[in-house]
This record gives sequence, C-alpha cells and structure tokens, in this order.
Amino acid sequence: MNNFSAKKANPLQKFIFNLKKHSGLSIGIIILFAFALISLSPLFITYIEPNKMDLLARLSPPSSEHILGTDHLGRDVLSRFVAAVPVSLGAALFAMVVILAISLPWGLIAGIMGGRVDAIMMRMADIIMAFPTLIFALAIIGFMGASLEASIIGVAAAWWPSNARMIRALVLAAKEREFVRAARLAGASDLRIVFRHIMPQILPPLTVIISLETASVLLALSSLSFLGIGAQPPTPEWGAMLNEARPFFNQALHMLLVPGLAVTLAVLGLNLVGEGLRHLLDQREPYKW
Amino acid sequence: MIKYLLIRLASALPTLLGMTIVAFAIVSLAPGDPIEQELRAMGIVPTIEDLNALRAKYGLDKPFIYRYFDWMSRAVQFDFGTSIATGRTVINELKLHFPATFILAISALFGTILISLALGIAAVASNQNIASFLRALTVVLVSIPSFWLALILIYIFVFYFGWARLVGDGSLRDLILPVVTLSLGSGAALGRVVYERIRAEMCEDYVRLAIAKGVSPAKILLRHITPRIIGPLATAWTNALGALLGGAVIVESIFGWPGLGQLILQAISQRDFPIIQAYLVFMGLGFFVTSLIADIIVIITDPQLRRKNSHE
Amino acid sequence: MVNALLVEGLSLHANGQLLLNNVSFELALGERKGLIGASGCGKSLTASAICGLLRPPLSIATGQIILDGRNILDFSKKEWRAVRGRHIFQIFQSPGTALTLAMRIGPQLIEAAEIAGVKNPKMTAIKALHDVELDENITEFFPYQLSGGMKQRVLIAMALILRPRILIADEPTTGLDVLTEYEILSSLNTMIEETGASLLFISHDLRVVRNVAQRTLVMHEGQILEETQVDMLMQSSYKHSKSLAKAAARLVHSC
Repeated sequence: MNNFSAKKANPLQKFIFNLKKHSGLSIGIIILFAFALISLSPLFITYIEPNKMDLLARLSPPSSEHILGTDHLGRDVLSRFVAAVPVSLGAALFAMVVILAISLPWGLIAGIMGGRVDAIMMRMADIIMAFPTLIFALAIIGFMGASLEASIIGVAAAWWPSNARMIRALVLAAKEREFVRAARLAGASDLRIVFRHIMPQILPPLTVIISLETASVLLALSSLSFLGIGAQPPTPEWGAMLNEARPFFNQALHMLLVPGLAVTLAVLGLNLVGEGLRHLLDQREPYKW
Repeated sequence: MIKYLLIRLASALPTLLGMTIVAFAIVSLAPGDPIEQELRAMGIVPTIEDLNALRAKYGLDKPFIYRYFDWMSRAVQFDFGTSIATGRTVINELKLHFPATFILAISALFGTILISLALGIAAVASNQNIASFLRALTVVLVSIPSFWLALILIYIFVFYFGWARLVGDGSLRDLILPVVTLSLGSGAALGRVVYERIRAEMCEDYVRLAIAKGVSPAKILLRHITPRIIGPLATAWTNALGALLGGAVIVESIFGWPGLGQLILQAISQRDFPIIQAYLVFMGLGFFVTSLIADIIVIITDPQLRRKNSHE
Repeated sequence: MVNALLVEGLSLHANGQLLLNNVSFELALGERKGLIGASGCGKSLTASAICGLLRPPLSIATGQIILDGRNILDFSKKEWRAVRGRHIFQIFQSPGTALTLAMRIGPQLIEAAEIAGVKNPKMTAIKALHDVELDENITEFFPYQLSGGMKQRVLIAMALILRPRILIADEPTTGLDVLTEYEILSSLNTMIEETGASLLFISHDLRVVRNVAQRTLVMHEGQILEETQVDMLMQSSYKHSKSLAKAAARLVHSC
C-alpha cells in the first residue's frame, strides 16, 4: 500500500509505542529485571546469613527484624528468598543452556540435512519424547541419586528432544523461504546458509521458545526440589523452601507465600516475555463476526 | 482404517523398542551398584567374593546386550523382578498403585479438556476487555506451580473452611482437590491453545466466506472451524496427559493419594531400581497408547488424510 | 433511477495510513458496474468495507454505505448478519482457500440455502449446481478434490442460492486459464440474469470487465478517478485510466 499522509515514527518512538501496546511484555521484562536486581542486591545490602538458625525465633511472623518472618529453624525467610534467586533461576538457566547445547545443533543438522539423517535423529528424539517428561526426569534422578545436579541433568535429558523438534520445524520453515532457496541454488555452502540465512530467521521465534521453555524448566526444577529430590537442604531454593514449609504452613503462612510467589512471579515473567514476543512477531488479525 | 492402524503400529515399533532400550540403559549406566548399596543399607559390609557371587546370581556380570534381552524376555511376560525395598514382585506393586493414578489422571484429563474449551471459547467469543482479562488469567494460571496451588487449596479448603480433608481414604470426594490442582494449570495452558487455534482459523479465507454468507458465529465455530481443529486439539490434549501423569506425582505426594507417584518417590529415595524401571516403561506405554488414539482422531477428522489412507 | 447501493465519502485507514480516500459511487438496481485499477489501489478494500469484512488494524474513518436507505456502517453485529448473504454477497479472489476445507460441497451449499430460507435446500443446491454446469455428484466432494475453476463456480452457485440483491465479484477469474475464465464469466452472467442482482465486478483486467459490464469505475491510489463507459476509457483524460485501457488493448492484440 502506498503511504499518503502518514508521518514516519522514529524507531525509539515505535519501540515505546509497542511497549505500551504490549503491556504483558513490558510487565514480564520488569519482573525479570527485578529478579536480576534482587540477585545482585547482596553486593550492596547486608542480609542476615541465610542459613543462620535462631531456634528461639522459630516460625515468627514478619517483623522489623525479619521483614518476611522466619522459618521452622528460625532462619530469615527474606535472606533465604534472596539467596535462592541465583540458585533457582540459575539452575533453570543452566538447564536451558544444556538443553540448547544439545537441541540447537540437533535440530539444525536434522533440518538442514533432511532425508535419512533427519529421520534417524528425529526418531531418537521421539523415543525420549514418548515418555512423559517429568517422569523421565524422575527416572534419571532415581538412578543418579537425589541432588540439584541430578535434577538439572534429568530435566535437560527429558526436555531437549521437544526443543530439538521445535528448532527443526523453524529450520524447515526458514529453508522454504525464497531467498534461502535462491542462495542454495546460487551455490552457497551449507555452513554459509546456516549462519547467514537460516540463523537470523529462526532467532526471533527461537527467543520465544527459549523464554517459554525456561519457564517450564523452572517449574519442573522447583517441583523436583519440592518433592525433595532436587536441591537438598539446607540449600536455599524456592521449591525446597516450600517443601520444608509443608508441616508448618498452617502456623506460618509467610513460609508458604514467599517462596510460592517467587516461583510464580519468575515463571510469570518468563511466560509474559515469551508470549509478548510471540505476539509482536505474529500480527495477523482474525475476521470479526 | 484398520490398515492405517497397522501401518501406524508398525512404524511405532522402533520407537517402542527404543523406549525399552532407554529404560533399560538408564539402570545399567546408573552410577553405584544397587546390590552393594542394598547390602550396605541392611548393615552388611560385603566382601568382594560375596559381591561377585551376588552379581553373577542377578546376571549383572554379563554384557549389556545379553542383559537387555534377558530383561526384555521377562518384561514381555510382565516380569519386572522384585522390589528391592519391599521384596514383593514389581508387577504386584504397580497393580496395587495403578488404579488410583489412573482415576486421577483420567479425571484430570477431563477437567483439562473442559477448562480449556471453556476458557478458549470464552476468550474468542467475548469482547476485547474480557478477552484480555481471560488472557491475563490464563498466563497467571499457567505460571502457578501445581505444588503451590495444591498447598493454597489445602490452606483454603481444608484449614480455613474445613470443606475437605487431607488424609482421605481414596474416595471420590477426596479426588476433587487433586483433580482441580492438576487440571487448572494444564486447562489454562490448553485453553490458550484452543483460543489460538480458533483465532488462527478465524484469519482464514473460508471463515470470511462463511461470514459473507451470513452464517452465525456459533455455526461458524461448530460446522466450519471445529472439524479443522479437533484433530490438533486431540493431539494437544493427549500430550497434556503426559504432563498430567508427571504432575500426578507431585499432587499425589501432597494429597496423600495412594497412586504410583507415592510408589516412585519412595523407590527413588530407596534406590529401588526395578520399580523405577518398570514405572518408566509403564508410563511410557500408557502415554504411547494415548498418542496413538490422538493420531487416529487426526486421521478421522481430516478428509484429505482419510481419503489417502482408504485408497492406499 | 433507484439506488441499490450508495457509497458516500468512504475513507479508510490503517496504522495512520490513508488507504481509501473519499470514495463515492452508486450502484443502481440491476446495474452491472466494473471497478478497475492497478493491484493494491484499494479495490478489494472497498469490497471488504461494503461487506463489513475489515479486520484490524483497518478501520473506517468517514463515510456512509447506504443500503435500503440505511447506513450499514452503523449496524450492530446482528443486523450485519441479516444483511450478509441475502442482501450483499461477495465472491472472493482466491477460490482455492475460500471454501471450508473440512466440509463437503453439499453441506456448504445447503447451509447457504438455509440462510436464504428456501423450502427445499437440497433441491435448490442441486439446481444451482446445474445452473453453473456442474454435476450434482460434486456435493459429495471435498474442496481439495475440485479444480480452481470448479471451486469458483461452486461459489457462484452459492450466490445463485443466496440470491443477494448486490453481488460483489472480486477478481473471480484471476489465476485461471482463459477457457475457465470464459466459463466463470458466463456462469456469472447466468446468475445475474436469473436473480436480477446488481453487480460490482472488481478486476485489474479491462478485457474481463468488458465481458460483464458496460460502465466502470477507475480507481487509483485509494481514490475513484472517474466513472465512464468501458469503451470510452481510451479517450479518458486521466493518465491512469488510459494506461489501463492500453494495457488491455495490447493484450488483446498479442493474443
């Protein structure tokens, strides 16, 4: 369409306009940014030592001394919450890196090579995907023995195949685009096609996948810690904190609320960013009826 | 149709075989010797000779392939050995705990389907403000971890109102809170899928023609859009069953529901390998069968595929 | 002359861009009128606006579309539904995707017959298929089993069943071969003669318009330049009208 009378907005104005229009994305970014700040805050603020027990102040409600109260061993819930940010989020991010380290080359190679290589690689992914993911992770932890490391490995082992499939689908879609086909016909090498043509195309949808998948990995890891087969006490981790709160939460609601809200908000932030980005990328509008 | 089913089954055989290899390999590659650990747990410090003798007795000294076929030949007869912890046969342990998990998972699947349809269709049908509220609600519901949701529901309904009890006897009444816990999150997640599927179809040309014809929204949804999305939705729903089976472990543990989840958590803490292995195989099989059902639904609802298969 | 449809000062924009600028024209009862212009000049948008099929970010800025003395732009969703099909119907550019893929042809035609409120929907559907020279056994077919030309004729059969007072045909022959194009146009003529509908025929191709209409509107960059006899287009004072006429002439000569 021709542009008769529109004034061209500059990129910054456009970006701000988009943020206003996509409030979910902005809220997500703010939440994630806040968690990043909290994880850095011990550099500037001195918290009570997260594992310091004070049995006289067990299960005490929020007070000026313990802003978010104490747990069943008299440990400060706020400092445990803060100390858990790098553990819980760090574990999820690390697991996601491992998942990508396997699934990205897997999906790229399968998608680009096609044919028999593709068939075999996808069959291998299908075998693992045939198991319910959390149950596959449980089995792996079962044989390795319960620990945060084992739960990361278990989750990565269970989560990579679906990621590989999604990445392969992105590659296949990118491969069909006309300019990629043209580059191929013009004799560009596979490697060049991957890095010059396919990667830039799959990167935007890939960020959507990474964001949403990190959310689900975080949920899985904290669930495992909650079940007592992930992070082990006394490590501060949100799921583990909730597990420890189980016998006491009727007496100390703050022990239930703080770690639960932490997981929910972190997952929410990641989901909002993922959904928001997806919305930005797909602007088709339905017919009105 | 039957021919297609056979083809589909035949093509799934390698996957099934692969699943058993994976399930077996996890045990064989696991660090730590189960026999040694078991003996230590019983307070016996074994000598090397004792260990070797026991290993030979359980066939653990043979090569991987040999042990795999040995295990498989017994597994097809539902012989998964005996539980290290309880001494009962694994298959009996599974039989004992399976019904509770089955009832929980199936109820949760129905709950999921209902919630997802309600949320998805409501979001499509409502005006912009309500739709964006529903979308926000969906994202929040999807983000709440099921274990936290369960604890909150317990706090509200058990401790605060006293409407439900925590230590139940496995009756239907005790099923309500676990099913709600499990199906809220996955129902919301799939509600988004329902919404997006319908919305994507609403961008298609055929919907434009139906609108131009003057067809009412309900009829467009039922007659024109439903046949197109029911196959993909069936796939999404059965895939959700995988997540529900996993989530069942968490929910069973919190609500004391006497299902396979309790069994597996115990088995993990006691390093009861035969139980873990059989559990993995069974859950894989169950999930596999439901995926097959979803595939059949896809075929039935897609005229192009249906025709291709009946003519082949 | 009685108006079937009156479009007055219609302007339409999306994301701050003006896409239709003060478009006005009228369509008399039983009149056949062409709407020609280069691709992307706003022809299909005009059609969509008249049928109430605009989707965001497209929105109407100003103007009126008068049908039976009422401005349909003020209509509620329910009123719109009553207008669509029986009063205004549109045949779309892409027959390949226009029909519902998962429904057999029969039910799709019968659905139209039910909306039109005929006594015997099934018989009406079959008769309409015969009128556009299609065999009645295609009611059992799914759209993917038909050729593009057959699908377009199914759409015309649908128009025959609905008997709208105004039919908008948006490039119904684009992408079809010349023989099929001829068949479609004659089916369309049959339909118009039988139902007495007014026709707005949209095309970028003057040759095709000449087959169904004597008068045509010329559109350029979202504006109506002029309304003229199709045969007078060569003598038009507008550059764009002339070039459309010349392009058509060249094609005829080269054939």
